Amino acid sequence: MDLSDWELVQRCQNGDVAAFQELVARYYRKVYMVVLGILNHRDDAMEVAQEAFFRAYRSIQGFKGGSAFYTWLYRIAVNLSIDFQRRQKRGPTELRETMDEAVDNTEGASSANDPFLDLQSKELGQRLVAAINELTPDHRAVIVMRAVEGLSYKDIGRMLGCSEGTVMSRLHYARKKLQEKLGPYL
Amino acid sequence: MKTNCETVKNSLGAWLDGELGHADAEEIRRHVEGCPACSGERRRLERVQVALRGVLETESSRVAFEPFWDGVRRRISEERPRQARLWEWARPAFYPQRLAWAVPVAIVFLLAIFSLVQYAPGWRWGVNRGNVAAVDSIDGHGFNVAVLRESKTKTTVIWLFESQEEDDEASGEPTAKEPSF
Repeated sequence: MDLSDWELVQRCQNGDVAAFQELVARYYRKVYMVVLGILNHRDDAMEVAQEAFFRAYRSIQGFKGGSAFYTWLYRIAVNLSIDFQRRQKRGPTELRETMDEAVDNTEGASSANDPFLDLQSKELGQRLVAAINELTPDHRAVIVMRAVEGLSYKDIGRMLGCSEGTVMSRLHYARKKLQEKLGPYL
Repeated sequence: MKTNCETVKNSLGAWLDGELGHADAEEIRRHVEGCPACSGERRRLERVQVALRGVLETESSRVAFEPFWDGVRRRISEERPRQARLWEWARPAFYPQRLAWAVPVAIVFLLAIFSLVQYAPGWRWGVNRGNVAAVDSIDGHGFNVAVLRESKTKTTVIWLFESQEEDDEASGEPTAKEPSF
């Protein structure tokens, strides 16, 4: 029988580590994905995503269910990622080869039959990763939260502690910058 | 028309995200449908979003659960000694069965302390601990003298007189009539 998140949280609050393991199994990919989007670095993303789960475990006694567990966890992960990114000044990204594969997957059959489109998509992927690297952590966070999670501006603002107007402005800026960098590949 | 396109481009992202009011959204939709430039802009925005999501999904699908969980579990096990160990050590003391023993033990302990204060001279929780009365010496030029120190500032000398006749009869030796210091 599948337990709800809240039931698992309550078990965790009673010291059941196995219940927390189940929560990790449910959300580790989503958390890793958003952290990776903000950090753009695999090892760092792994560290920060694990740390986010650990912080959640440590604070789970204080979680009263006012929001969904994932929303709460997601907020921890995003804030940790932004803090981490501000502390670290990373050099070039290491995700370029992933982008090639990702574009293969997302473009699917349409590009498979068109070598020019395929090449263009791979190029787009590499450029996109490089362009994201040039954004600030705040701009990167909003675009990832929107693109990956499809969160509303209100939710993004609540998580990042800023207004909806700020979210809209950051998103607009981030998209504009990405489009400038990717111009010919779009 | 150009100004209108600029306005639309500024709101295009919010429109795609469904964040505009009904009237604004409708106005932009009508414009985009009839404007090749803004329609192309819309496609480019969507393509960026799809590509970004694709990269992250592909990357996250490569992460296996076991190594990820191992990292989380390691952090938890390293943390437990610091916080949980103290509580785990102390928690049994608060079990009801233990508390049932603890109450009489505490009462006996308090009674013992109370008795000590009442019946042990000079034992008063450290207060006036230096004022314990003690016999320091017995010496008075042949007479029995007790020097009783009651405190640092108060000393009482007690002369222990004996009957002179009994002494003379017993020893037959001359003795001093008065002590001299």
